[in-house]
Amino acid sequence: MLLIRCPWCGEREETEFRYGGQAHIATPRSDVDDASWARFLFHRDNPAGPFAERWVHIHGCRRWFHIVRDTLTHDITRSYLPSESPEDAG
Amino acid sequence: MADSEGMAVRLQSLPQATQVGFRVTLASQMSAANALGIPALPGVNRFIGAGGLLVLWLGPDEWLLIAPDGMVEWESRLRNAIGADQGAVVDVSANRVGFELSGPAARDVLASCCALDLHPRAFGPGGCGQTLIAKAQVILAQTDLETYRILVRPSFANYVAAWLEDGVAGVQGHAKADL
Amino acid sequence: MHPNEHALHNPEFLWRNPDPKPSYDVVIVGGGLHGLSTAYHLARNHGIKRVAVVERGWLGNGNAVRNTTIIRSNYLRDESAALYEHCLKLWEVWTEELDYEILFSQRGVLTLNHNLHEVREGHRGMYSNQLNGVDSEWLDAQAVKEFCPIVNTSADLRYPVAGGTLQRRGGIARHDAVVFALARAADRLGVDLIQGCEVTGFDIQRGRVTGLVTTKGRIGAGKVGLVGAGRTPLLARMAGIEVPLQSAPLQALVSDIVEPMLPCVVSNALHVYVSQAHKGELVMGAGRDPYTSYAQRGSFHILEDQMAAALQVFPIFGRVHLLRTWAGIVDVTPDASPIVGITPVEELYLNCGWGTGGFKATPGSGWVFAHTIAHGAPHALNAAFSLDRFETGALIDEHGASVAVH
Ligand SMILES: Cc1cc2nc3c(=O)[nH]c(=O)nc-3n(C[C@H](O)[C@H](O)[C@H](O)COP(=O)(O)OP(=O)(O)OC[C@H]3O[C@@H](n4cnc5c(N)ncnc54)[C@H](O)[C@@H]3O)c2cc1C
Ligand SMILES: [Zn+2]
Repeated sequence: MLLIRCPWCGEREETEFRYGGQAHIATPRSDVDDASWARFLFHRDNPAGPFAERWVHIHGCRRWFHIVRDTLTHDITRSYLPSESPEDAG
Repeated sequence: MADSEGMAVRLQSLPQATQVGFRVTLASQMSAANALGIPALPGVNRFIGAGGLLVLWLGPDEWLLIAPDGMVEWESRLRNAIGADQGAVVDVSANRVGFELSGPAARDVLASCCALDLHPRAFGPGGCGQTLIAKAQVILAQTDLETYRILVRPSFANYVAAWLEDGVAGVQGHAKADL
Repeated sequence: MHPNEHALHNPEFLWRNPDPKPSYDVVIVGGGLHGLSTAYHLARNHGIKRVAVVERGWLGNGNAVRNTTIIRSNYLRDESAALYEHCLKLWEVWTEELDYEILFSQRGVLTLNHNLHEVREGHRGMYSNQLNGVDSEWLDAQAVKEFCPIVNTSADLRYPVAGGTLQRRGGIARHDAVVFALARAADRLGVDLIQGCEVTGFDIQRGRVTGLVTTKGRIGAGKVGLVGAGRTPLLARMAGIEVPLQSAPLQALVSDIVEPMLPCVVSNALHVYVSQAHKGELVMGAGRDPYTSYAQRGSFHILEDQMAAALQVFPIFGRVHLLRTWAGIVDVTPDASPIVGITPVEELYLNCGWGTGGFKATPGSGWVFAHTIAHGAPHALNAAFSLDRFETGALIDEHGASVAVH
């Protein structure tokens, strides 16, 4: 069970959240070629280590936010607003 | 819903209430507070009770007003105070029903089915939060040292009540065994 | 009991433990079931003798022995039915072919349906299976009860049993025995099985793979097959290939040993599937954790949900103790179908994306992948399971037909 810090509500159990996959993926223009569109739809980073990802506090404040979580240890080192970048978050 | 009588904890259902959800920009939050007769809208994970009203924080720009049953005028009052382009106000009175859990063991009962940290160092009177009881979403507010108000969507009400009653039976059995 | 009985049944050396040679015709990366099956079929079906399997840990440390061993071929799409049915036909002859007791048992896989929508989907799958020559039949709630008496078919369940589909030829096998059988068979055909040898990079010259960088030195290779299951994204990245996978934990558990009570495999959409191993433990699989991970560890609430569902369907499990839980990292594709074929790098081949359901595919996966490597082009059975389908849009959507994650 992960203990996740919602940037608004604070630390809550994982069951209050839903996972949204990799963060900071920009939607490409609709006229990109098929390869870029496939990359956008289907390819994610899967790093072994820190990973910036989206969660939504679905049973709490219902807001989307981002965390940086290590995929080897599950340690969560950052929790920040979607408007921030993983680097400048505290 | 039957009340569970006992010394350690008591569960009762609350009468129907008017409920108005509102989202409001920073610019109009003071006007909303003025209309509600409170100095400011409550902050993160807090609620304010004043003049028969409860105002609960739900999210960064979102609150819930609970007023006595029938006071439907609160929807237009708030809408006027906030201004059409500064937020949204919706009467959601049928959205949730309320329970009150009170007594020295109320926190123990909640500990049996709710993962929110309700220890006084983390919560306490004036605290509120949206969380899960068993698997059902609830709004939980602590109204005094030994009293909690639980708002749950009607289709989950029996389920949540069953969990709470089970918890009540647990602590009361425990209390008896202690004598 | 004979004092050496244990040793008699488990001879210590089933395969040599060689050091790597400077080069091979084919190097397979990953000593799980699919890697071993590929090496075995390269030697057996295609006469390629200079083959090595390199494995970072020990043979079968990964999903090979973490799965719940459910075998079936009742997939929805034509391409999947053909591939998985090929696998099932191979299972039916494997005990003899590998000359090893792998405890393959066709006790039937029963997939329960709990509402009208599921009943319709169950029928759709059954008819599609029948058209593809895959055995499948419908059992109503009464027939379910007769086939598997411990299923709770009472109408006042939260999710009452409305009926289910049965594939009688489905079943289970003993996964570690399959690892032993394949390793022994491949070794006997001359395959070098190199354990404790992690691939850390690729030699790629002018778009063609020529060798591997490993923790046991450089190994030259004419052809390379990647069969890394959950760690495939890490391997592929070293070779400069992007794969549409998510690596995530999938959990399972076993109970203590109990008397025979469950005659078949039972599964449903409530996120629990269960069989009773030959020794007597109940083996149960759970839903997948949603998040990306390489930690081989999942969240507890997933197991709680799984137990709640199990107790609904099988009240008798209420007296059973949970003994052990674990997780494996599964490689999940967007369409829940595997990727088996060529890559943008010449002579580098990819076999991955079996996700939560590749144990059943062990024989056929290695069979078609060995063909693909030997011929430099896919076999008809795996041609549709290409990496470029995510670009062309020719997805093979098996989310619905897999029902639960096995
Ligand atoms: C809990 C659980 C339940 C499951 N239940 C079922 C089921 O009931 N039925 C079913 O059909 N399937 C099931 N599966 C899926 C099935 O286990 C997998 O699809 C299948 O085992 C994957 O193939 P494999 O055995 O080759 O994988 P693995 O055994 O994981 O093999 C991959 C190997 O690659 C090695 N490797 C990775 N990176 C490197 C490197 N850089 N260098 C060298 N070696 C490397 C790893 O160490 C590993 O040994 C389940 C899986 C899990 C986790
Ligand atoms: Zn929140």
